[in-house]
Amino acid sequence: MDVAVGTADKTRWLILIYHLPREPSRHRVAVWRKLKALGALYLQDGVAALPADAVTREQLEWLQLRVREAGGRATLWEAWPNTVAENQGLVAAFRAAREEGYRKVIAGAGRIRRKAELGGDEAPLLEGLARTERGFRAERRRDYFRSPLRTEAAQALRAARRTLVEGAEPTDREDVGQGG
Amino acid sequence: MLWATRRGCHVDRTGCVWLIRRFIDGEAAFSFFEDPAEAPEGAELFDVVGARLSHGGDDCSFETFLKEYSLGDPVLAEISEIVHDADLMDEKYGRPEADGLDAVIRGMQLVLPDDQTLTGYTDAVFEGLYAYLSREVL
Repeated sequence: MDVAVGTADKTRWLILIYHLPREPSRHRVAVWRKLKALGALYLQDGVAALPADAVTREQLEWLQLRVREAGGRATLWEAWPNTVAENQGLVAAFRAAREEGYRKVIAGAGRIRRKAELGGDEAPLLEGLARTERGFRAERRRDYFRSPLRTEAAQALRAARRTLVEGAEPTDREDVGQGG
Repeated sequence: MLWATRRGCHVDRTGCVWLIRRFIDGEAAFSFFEDPAEAPEGAELFDVVGARLSHGGDDCSFETFLKEYSLGDPVLAEISEIVHDADLMDEKYGRPEADGLDAVIRGMQLVLPDDQTLTGYTDAVFEGLYAYLSREVL
């Protein structure tokens, strides 16, 4: 059985508790999407948790305002789980969510690298790589507990880009000279 | 005029400070508070929940300023997209500059002592962005 201990071993969490009218549904969708983008975890319907820092606090404050503007109710709380075990459970759930995202990045980068090795049309591969890199940055932004897969995902992206760029034949690209 | 906002300015508030100084009030003075209750009396509050010049609907405060002061400059419209994406992180406009601006201003926050100093530097960042985009947009 776990025992409640001092708060030093626990993360400080922000909990947004909100309720929105069922219709129009676009507000519910917008709030859900924003919470997903922030990497928040739903503890249950209308109750979302994020580790507290200056950025998450501000984002949730604006979200609270948004809910109220849409005719809903929202309160924002700072809290600690009662036990270390409960805190670890929450952290593990956050990590698992990010790992799923990083695995997609790793798989996507691997596919692009293999296609690049086979040669073929570069433009769609570069586009796909840019999309995957964007996805990686989004994961990294909400990776509050530094998932161990982060490094692996970054390396997979670097390998894919290297293969694509180094395998490229020099062409008369218009944007040469734009850098620096 | 005295303008006031919360401490710990990031891209939206630093952008608003530049916008105010450059396009709205050449004599502007700024006060940064910890809690809205500490805001100096008579100051115009911005980027504070409940203020006229703040987030509204989908908009960040910079976008609200452009609407409230009818600033139709197309370069400012571009900057407002970048500020929006960096502030709300929703990729609404898909501006690639947003990630870089976010990183630069977050880093400046770490090394500069306070918001007065920070906004002195970020003014130059936004001025540069404005000059660069003017070249592309106009």
